[in-house]
Amino acid sequence: MKKMKEKECIAMLLAGGQGSRLGALTKTIAKPAVSFGGKYRIIDFSLSNCANSNIDTVGVLTQYRPYLLNTYIGTGSAWGLDSSTGGVAILPPYATESGGRWYEGTADAIFRNLDYIRLYRPKYVLILSGDHLYRMDYRKMLKRHIEKEADLTISVMKVPMEEASRFGIMTAQEDGRIVKFSEKPKEPDSDLASMGIYIFSTDVLEAALVQDSTDPTSEHDFGKNIIPKLLAEGKNLFTYEFSGFWKDVGTIPAFHETSMDLLEPEPPFDLADEEFPIFSNENISPPQYIGPDAAVENSFIGNGSQIFGKVVHSVISVDSFVGKGAVVTDSVLLPGAIVRENAIVTRAILGENTEVKAGGIFGNAEGEIVVTGDDSVVE
Amino acid sequence: MDRVTGLIAANYETKALGSLTSERTIASLPYGGRYRMIDFPLSNMVNSGIQTVGLVTPYKYRSVMDHIGAGKEWGLDRKNGGLFILPGSVFGVASSQSRFLLRDLKRNEVFLRRSQADYVLVTSSDAVYNMDYRPLVDKHIETGADITMLYREAVEDAPNDLSLILSGEQVTGFNRGGLKGEPLFRNCFVMRRDLLINILEWYAAVDYLDIFEALEDDLGKMDIRGYRFDGYIRSIATVRDYFQHSMELLRNEVREELFSRENPIMTKVQDSVPTKYLAGAVVKNALIPAGCVIQGTVENSILFRGVQVKPGAVVRNSILMQSCVVEPGAVVENAIIDRGNTIAAGTVLKGSPDNVFILNKHLI
Repeated sequence: MKKMKEKECIAMLLAGGQGSRLGALTKTIAKPAVSFGGKYRIIDFSLSNCANSNIDTVGVLTQYRPYLLNTYIGTGSAWGLDSSTGGVAILPPYATESGGRWYEGTADAIFRNLDYIRLYRPKYVLILSGDHLYRMDYRKMLKRHIEKEADLTISVMKVPMEEASRFGIMTAQEDGRIVKFSEKPKEPDSDLASMGIYIFSTDVLEAALVQDSTDPTSEHDFGKNIIPKLLAEGKNLFTYEFSGFWKDVGTIPAFHETSMDLLEPEPPFDLADEEFPIFSNENISPPQYIGPDAAVENSFIGNGSQIFGKVVHSVISVDSFVGKGAVVTDSVLLPGAIVRENAIVTRAILGENTEVKAGGIFGNAEGEIVVTGDDSVVE
Repeated sequence: MDRVTGLIAANYETKALGSLTSERTIASLPYGGRYRMIDFPLSNMVNSGIQTVGLVTPYKYRSVMDHIGAGKEWGLDRKNGGLFILPGSVFGVASSQSRFLLRDLKRNEVFLRRSQADYVLVTSSDAVYNMDYRPLVDKHIETGADITMLYREAVEDAPNDLSLILSGEQVTGFNRGGLKGEPLFRNCFVMRRDLLINILEWYAAVDYLDIFEALEDDLGKMDIRGYRFDGYIRSIATVRDYFQHSMELLRNEVREELFSRENPIMTKVQDSVPTKYLAGAVVKNALIPAGCVIQGTVENSILFRGVQVKPGAVVRNSILMQSCVVEPGAVVENAIIDRGNTIAAGTVLKGSPDNVFILNKHLI
């Protein structure tokens, strides 16, 4: 195969997970494709990070319900990633002369695309997951990886000690050298949680993946298998400590809470930061229209929406509709959601193109957040 | 529609729009919260299946080119056909009705000669409408006319446009300026490509004229017909046109037709965040694009991207272009605030519906 222009660092973005804890929201689409923040999809954040970090070659590994993700990513031009010497490649599982099978773990997914990595002969490979909200300049992490002459650098952030048992925890020396890795430890001895962002030196990655692929007992997972193995072999593993905003919106309460946080006057995660823009493949919708009897407060509203009723403390995504006399409170309307006349929606997440019929009532002021899947109808 | 090449005269300049077009041409005049005038003919062409579009650029081409780029948003960054950037004249036009100077067309004869299309659809960029050009082209082919001109009755007097004298479908003459109710030429016509090339040769001596000025004396020799568009269309020739027709976008039925989901008006994408409405925001009857922050009152108004209305500020019956900031307590009423202005706290800027206050573009 003809080799492409050599790259210093390319990214491999794991986007094949279902994100089953998001329930109805991921029934028909993969988690990275779930809409967030009025117009974005979760994968926008990692793709924008790549674009803003000048990483122009990104392999996106897909598996679960890929169509929306595939069409959404397209050529990558929305993120400025349609480069002639790299660009975005969608990498689904594929068959070879010995047959085909699904990706059987994060490490297996990368292993089976080693040929793609080899095309670009990068010195370093950045491994990302497409389901987190954060802004990160990966160049800073790469700089540290090179300075430390590391084999693997893992991005970590401090979490409250009492929550540490929910994460993969790194125990590191003062200089950042990792001495221990414990997956969801019952009694954590460190508060540095792995963010699932790795930079490997390519030769180390390749050797580890090839070896792991022959191990019948392995689950082919970076956290469970590859990192412990490299530690045991005495490889140079270092942390890169990140202190900005980072969030996994992988559950309904986390998704709702993080959405509501956007509405603060000084939000913890400011989508509007122009120094580090978040790009998205947006539809060309007309401006939003706020009707003569509408009332909108403490809310986020996307283009193409039409508001004739009352919207209080809610995220109204692109192309949504709130009819006259309707009241939407503490809710998230995903793109194309329709709340008809006099309907009441409270503390709810409406899936894309969901319709709440006129006079319908959905959600409660207390208790669990209620959710509909995409294209639902609520009477 | 692969038999049709599009040609947009984006170089028309006019003084009737005052300071709104002193730093830009009408093609790049912002309209409707997130669009520019050029978006309407360009999107119409693309939505009608035209895949090759020549754009005659104005002398001051920066703002148009910045907006159009390689035509990506319109799907015109194509290997086959696509967008062709064409030069226009340096000099102004002979009269305010002139949109299609023969010398502009002549200068781009190579583009016309190289085209494989049988027909050329020519438009200006001073009309706001959403139209499928296919029925117009079909009618033109069916009747075998030499030229078919698009018209629609004027909603009010239009001194800067051409109106058609019709006998049935036949165009028998032109009037400079149209009165309310008269069939106003909407600066869009279709003709055979080879005929257009011939006309450029026949009238080479008077190439300083608009094509219809040149043809006026020879109307009897040609088969020129009118085609009536029955949808919403507004020609923007004066500040009054601009203000009044912009405000019509606050009507649901106008938006529904103009911003059709099936045939969207496309524009340059800016990656703006959704608009944020904070506590204290009071918004009624307003068209607002993404990228704004509203803390004050906005009524009967159109905002553009990046506008900020601070607490206690009031915006009524106004158009605020990109990146304007209305500081706390300031009042803006019956005004057009051009791009980049900050209205200082407590300032009151008021025009009247018949005499709109205009604040010029703030040059950075």
